[in-house]
Amino acid sequence: MISKFIDTQSNLLSSRYWRFIGRQLRRPPVLVLVGMLILAIIGPWFAPYDPLEPQPMNTLAAPSWDHWFGTDDYGFDVFSRVIHATRIDFSLALLGVLIGGGIGSLLGAIAAYRGGITDSILLRFVEVIQSFPVLLFALALFAAIGGGARNMVLAIAIVNIPMYLRIIRSSLLPLRTAEFIDAARCAGLSGWNIVLKHFIPNAKGQIFSLFVLTCAYAIQIIAGLSFIGLGVEPPHPEWGSMINSGAGYIMLGVWWPSIFPGLAIVLSVYAVNGLSRKQMTGQIRSSI
Amino acid sequence: MNVMGSTHMASDDIDSLNTTAETNRSAVIKQWSLYLIKRLGILLIVLISVSILTFSVTRFAGTPLYAAVGVYSTDEMIAERKEKMGLNKPLWEQYATYLSGLARGNLGSSRRTFAPVRDEIADRLPATAELVIFAVGLSILWAVPVGALAAFRPKGWADRIGSSLGQIGVSVPSFWLGLLFIYLLYYVLALLPAPFGRLGGADPPDSVTGFYTVDALLAGDLALFGEAVRYLLMPALTLSFTSSPPIFSVTRSAVSTVLGSQFVEAARSYGIPSRALKFRHVAPNAAPPVINIVAMTFGYLIGGAVLVEVVFSWPGIGTYAVQAMDFSDYDPVLGVVLLSATIYVVVYFLADLIQFLLDPRLRE
Repeated sequence: MISKFIDTQSNLLSSRYWRFIGRQLRRPPVLVLVGMLILAIIGPWFAPYDPLEPQPMNTLAAPSWDHWFGTDDYGFDVFSRVIHATRIDFSLALLGVLIGGGIGSLLGAIAAYRGGITDSILLRFVEVIQSFPVLLFALALFAAIGGGARNMVLAIAIVNIPMYLRIIRSSLLPLRTAEFIDAARCAGLSGWNIVLKHFIPNAKGQIFSLFVLTCAYAIQIIAGLSFIGLGVEPPHPEWGSMINSGAGYIMLGVWWPSIFPGLAIVLSVYAVNGLSRKQMTGQIRSSI
Repeated sequence: MNVMGSTHMASDDIDSLNTTAETNRSAVIKQWSLYLIKRLGILLIVLISVSILTFSVTRFAGTPLYAAVGVYSTDEMIAERKEKMGLNKPLWEQYATYLSGLARGNLGSSRRTFAPVRDEIADRLPATAELVIFAVGLSILWAVPVGALAAFRPKGWADRIGSSLGQIGVSVPSFWLGLLFIYLLYYVLALLPAPFGRLGGADPPDSVTGFYTVDALLAGDLALFGEAVRYLLMPALTLSFTSSPPIFSVTRSAVSTVLGSQFVEAARSYGIPSRALKFRHVAPNAAPPVINIVAMTFGYLIGGAVLVEVVFSWPGIGTYAVQAMDFSDYDPVLGVVLLSATIYVVVYFLADLIQFLLDPRLRE
């Protein structure tokens, strides 16, 4: 008993745990992601300019030492706005995916556990939602309840539910006939307890890899929606709407207001996607 | 006698063979029709749920009533309108009216132009279809051969190029890539025309199919055809770049699964030449999933090309929906949503059916 206790302690604080983190930190996507997370959290205090203070005398200035990423058509400093937008984009994506992923995983586990009518109703629901192209689904939703950041989170959550539902369900399906589930049932555990304590933990690996993939996807959806003028309102810094405000000038050779925020999207999607390499998912599963 | 008996036996054998073939065929037909009915039923359920969803959006979107009477209205006006628009009836009756309208192709009318949404979409659908067909064609051209080569030689150059292109295609937002292309190919290199729709300001060819490239060829105007292709190239390239990674990876995994199977090993050990092996044994077996993903990409892009259409001012259904959204004009938006969901579901169904036809293993 005591030895076991010490064992778990040493697992958390021991070199093995830290070595794992240290090894991961040497991978480029992880490094980029950690950098961007730090930027999202403390970046706004270090941004050289106020992202909402236009400089009318200095519009569309090319990148220089004063303005690393140049200025846009209102004279906003693009660099400061890209940094501020990191926080907005990351938190919206994270929020949407957490809500949608949580509900989706739970429903997926319930579908796998219950089977029968519950299962087929949930599967039809998945088919209906997934038959809409994501962006058009958001458009229809916004037609009903209006745009804005809050409803964008809702849209992301809704399109995430079927993804999690389908994949978690299919990965947990074999458990329905597993012996230890029978044993749990015989021991008198309620359905809820079985779903929460036996089904969900068994899908940890899948949920993590899905989480990574859907976060990357959510960042792109948010940028896309803001690009067509829905979602985050224009003066606020957001990558997609920044690309939109610079789009009209790109034909004139003014590339910096659009290209830099786009690079930020590419970089963050690359970094987030890079987490989901199979070996790492495996390592995480064994280390948790 | 003996001889007679043996022939008798033989004909008996043939008879019994015939009957088993007969029963086999009828069993297969029965299986097929069962499968078809089941799939069609699911298709119908999904389509009805989609229409329920769009219907509830129309009721949610500040009810069509206030849109019709405007801000300054008296109570009598509202009551009269309500009566006229059938908003007093129970919800299910309203939905039935809506559904029967849909069945007759009634998608409502634009609040801005007062034209029926059906006609406006019909005008714009060929533009989207042409772009998507072109883009998917480009994707097939590179992704299928490179995917197959990657499967033949894992970690070879084809695998490396394909995987890295796939990685980039997944991380890059399509609208940003489009802008990058505009900057490089139009502004810097001046290779392709500015992103002003299908032909810039030039007169389109006489409309036969609605596809400018085909119509120009039908009119015998090669210069116009070239121009139409030049305008198509940049948006199609953008769309292809971001939508082809799944085609590459599905091809790669399908071919490598087939290559690892026993019958390929058997064929190889018979000494079948490698070219015949690739085209007569591997290709047909790897084809179904590839055809499936190509069809799905096509079905998805009809409604999923919105952002690229907007970037290149392409006058397709996506641009139409976004412009209508700017004016809070919801019937066009929902018309486009409904249409693209329907196309996707039907294409999905057809892709399943093709797979079922091509792959005898699925029929068991």
